[in-house]
Amino acid sequence: MAAGVRKMKIGGSWKSYAVLAGAALLFAFPGYWLTSSAVKTQDRIFANPPEVLPWPVAWSNFADVYAETRIVRAFFNTVLIAGCQVALTLLVCSMAGLAFARYRDAPGHKWLFALTLGTMMIPVAVTTIPVFIMLSQFGLINTYWGMILPGAANAFGVFWMRQYISQNVPRALYDAAEIDGAGHLTTYWCVVLPVIRPAMAALGVLVLINSWNNLMWAFIVLRTPDMQTMPLLIYMLQGEQGTPYGQVMAAGLLAAAPLVCAFLLFQRAFIGGVTAGAVKG
Amino acid sequence: MNPPDAAVSATSNPANKGQHGRRLRQRCVANRWFYFLLAPFFLLFFIFGLYPLLFSLYLSFLRWDALSPATWVGLSNFAALAQDELFFVSLKNTLLLGLYHIPPMMLLAFVFAVLLDRQCLKLKGLWRAAVFFPAITPMVVIAIVFSLLFGAELGLVNYLWWRAAAVVGVEAGVLPWLQSESWSKVTVSLLLVWRWTGYNMVIMLAGLQGIDRSLYEAAEVDGATRLQRLTQVTMPLMRPTFLFVFVMSMIGTVYMFDEVFVLTKGGPGVSSTNVGLFLFDEGFGAFRFGYASAAGYSVAAGLFLATLLVLKMGRKDHTA
Amino acid sequence: MSSLGKWLAIVGLSAIVVVITWLPQLLASKSPAGGPVVEVWAWNTAADSLNALASSYTQRTSDVHIDVIRNGTDMQTRFLLSLAGGVGAPDVCQLQEREVGKFTESGRLMDLTDYAARYGPDFAPAAWANCQFDSKTLAIPWDLGPCAVFYKRWVFDRYGVDPDTIETWDDFIAAGKQIHEASGGQTHMMSLSSGDLSEFFQILMQQAGGSVFNDRGEIAMDVPGNQRALEVMRALLDSGTTAQLEWMEKLSSFNSDAVACYPMAVWFGQYIKDYAPDTAGEWGVFRLPALEPGGLRTSNLGGSVLVIPDQGDERKQAWDYVEYVTCVAESQVRQYRDYGLFPAYLPALTDPYFDEPDPFFGGQRVHRLFSADIEKVRPLTRTKDWAEAERYLRQTLSTWAAGMDHQRYLAESADALGRKLGRPVAAGASDPRGVTE
Repeated sequence: MAAGVRKMKIGGSWKSYAVLAGAALLFAFPGYWLTSSAVKTQDRIFANPPEVLPWPVAWSNFADVYAETRIVRAFFNTVLIAGCQVALTLLVCSMAGLAFARYRDAPGHKWLFALTLGTMMIPVAVTTIPVFIMLSQFGLINTYWGMILPGAANAFGVFWMRQYISQNVPRALYDAAEIDGAGHLTTYWCVVLPVIRPAMAALGVLVLINSWNNLMWAFIVLRTPDMQTMPLLIYMLQGEQGTPYGQVMAAGLLAAAPLVCAFLLFQRAFIGGVTAGAVKG
Repeated sequence: MNPPDAAVSATSNPANKGQHGRRLRQRCVANRWFYFLLAPFFLLFFIFGLYPLLFSLYLSFLRWDALSPATWVGLSNFAALAQDELFFVSLKNTLLLGLYHIPPMMLLAFVFAVLLDRQCLKLKGLWRAAVFFPAITPMVVIAIVFSLLFGAELGLVNYLWWRAAAVVGVEAGVLPWLQSESWSKVTVSLLLVWRWTGYNMVIMLAGLQGIDRSLYEAAEVDGATRLQRLTQVTMPLMRPTFLFVFVMSMIGTVYMFDEVFVLTKGGPGVSSTNVGLFLFDEGFGAFRFGYASAAGYSVAAGLFLATLLVLKMGRKDHTA
Repeated sequence: MSSLGKWLAIVGLSAIVVVITWLPQLLASKSPAGGPVVEVWAWNTAADSLNALASSYTQRTSDVHIDVIRNGTDMQTRFLLSLAGGVGAPDVCQLQEREVGKFTESGRLMDLTDYAARYGPDFAPAAWANCQFDSKTLAIPWDLGPCAVFYKRWVFDRYGVDPDTIETWDDFIAAGKQIHEASGGQTHMMSLSSGDLSEFFQILMQQAGGSVFNDRGEIAMDVPGNQRALEVMRALLDSGTTAQLEWMEKLSSFNSDAVACYPMAVWFGQYIKDYAPDTAGEWGVFRLPALEPGGLRTSNLGGSVLVIPDQGDERKQAWDYVEYVTCVAESQVRQYRDYGLFPAYLPALTDPYFDEPDPFFGGQRVHRLFSADIEKVRPLTRTKDWAEAERYLRQTLSTWAAGMDHQRYLAESADALGRKLGRPVAAGASDPRGVTE
């Protein structure tokens, strides 16, 4: 093995680095362009030849977008909606996952589990219209609940939690907890949750990415400017009389930054969230 | 053990099987926490999953805009769909978008994954982060950035193209990335490659890491070159991962929305309208809820069959 | 979990639920000090015009603020979503005539009957009828699209055609042949591409009193008016004097000799002025040719209305503004003079402005020409399905143009539309207005 590794290293290492560096540059470039455009004025965004280094830095876009839109509120809305959706999904999925993992001989177990698996196949495109109609009948249009609830029944999350709990929580642990006199909820909260923390983090990240960036559902449900999330605010900034690109870029940077920072800090959970998606394949 | 049957017989005929029923009830009571723990999920699932699914099926037989009274039209939504030129254009566009972006994306993802899989590689986290980060940026933002980069007259990409052409000494015209019906799909595909390569690279990396290293050593002992190891050992073992990535990308292309909604609005004309945008336009653009539901169901059914077909073909190849 | 912990969890969860439910109200921004705010959605020139009128309106009633939000991005979609969701709609919204039915039948618009009934006789009957549903007035006509023919004086002069002699479509075709032959096939009389067919059909259909729906909402395609319209279109196509121009080609054809004239609605003039400013003074307008000698020489295409959703808090204020914009002659004249939006309010047409010459059209009094007879255009029952029916016509008229019998086309499209829209097909070739009239 050691020999193999050394050979590989001698083999094509500078070529690999060149390929990777080139790819990294290409893939990071739109991010750079976003950042640099955010600190250019409108005419400099459309400068000819294009201005690659945004110097001198102009902060006016941030001031403008703060003055002309409710961006602080939009940011708060996005955080609240994404946060609640993550929390609710994790709670609901881990509870259901535990149920399927622990109570194997409960009547209806097999049938209910099959139903859960079946729902992973339901495309969102088919349920969007009925859910919209339902939400308008319940008066949940233009509310936080209208954004939080519909996505929270995540069948894939349940399946994943069940797998993870089955593999990582030995049955003996339940029995031990029971002998200690712990109730079922206590067992869930104090015994199971600590063990499945990595899976929760990964699922949470997956839900967070989708919820934070969701445009379509926000466009449908959120009807007034003070309820807008960041993606919707950015979309609506595009006007028929020409888009204030500087403001769009400034808002875009603010919308992208939290996830990118979180990703840099918690790479493992993000990667875990994505690869877990492949488990079912 | 067959719980569903037990449940049915116990409720339908409790007198005859009293003992069975009592046992069942005891088991239910003993496992009551199963139901308590499941309740929140199934409550949400019934309201926002199962019921809408059935409601949507019912809708597909109606003409309804959720505002004025509904009309029952039987199967005519489906009949109209079969003659809707725009629907078939969107199917064709979806197919082309898939053809344009999935192969290069999978190739790139695989190459990067193989490179990153090398144990001696330095700065692994940096490379991975750089290629992966597009997957977490808000699509609406990046689609607008792309519309700037690919602008006809003042976009950076065309500027570089002109400079490159000038160096070679060729007169280069404007590349109509977003203005031409034949180019719009290419531009959307570039956005898709950019967006999803890192995501799929990570999945492939996980697949690669699942391969038993001793197989490589055995191949090396047999005198296989690096390329041979890649094609003879890695790629066959990666087949399930490839299949997964392909199927997910296929489904994603069909239902994709943000990318086209923001970057091209499905245009110019309808040249980049995929199925996802078609469904949105019919549903929320025109409020033809019945028709959109019929289209949604048809697409979902077709896609389901296509997925089964792809999976079956993938497996057959494997055994052959 | 201790019982205290359980209680804490329950209290905490309920607190979160309550907070998420009520937070939007808590955070709601108070409207800026002062009077009520009326939010108006419109786009393009319409928004500019409404904005200009807003400032003069505010001068009269100082405490109301009119907030015109000019954003055409997905406007109709957003408006529909807000109506269906019961929240977020503006106080006043601009709608195109062709999509009004969908909204008047929605039951989500303010019933204006009590306020507006007295204005009924002051509007062109066709436009007014389009705003009624279930014997309620749910929208107010705002601008019209009366039709005439825009022609290039230099082309007509060169080939010796006098537009005053063109009285019927037969005359029009004869003139077209003369121009086409004299120009060696270089100049066509008009453009009638597959994209033009549906709009041109609608012009002729209204001129001839045709229909798509009768007033019972049944499909009434197979009617004499529609047959007559198709006959004229067929004669035009067969004459070989029509060109096939796409929209962009049409705009650039203003500057060339490719096409001699454009039978279109009044708003089309603004496109000519915008795209061919160098040809100012070289244009003229003659009235739409009639179907038979002495027949109606106008029609209608386009135009828009204003509506007030019934969910707003400022409905009375909104009506007050709408009344100022649509039912005051001075406002209606201003919107035409400054923004080219033709008044739907007939008393406005007596304004002296309508007798002023237009230098772009060689000093011709085109405003008066467009305003003639607009009250004679017959009302058209549009229903909520108009946009879909129109889409169907757009898709299928090219098939007809390729060589299909009128009778067969009308019968087949009646059946197809009936199936598609779930509506009965009216029996036989009856009068489009059904039995009630």
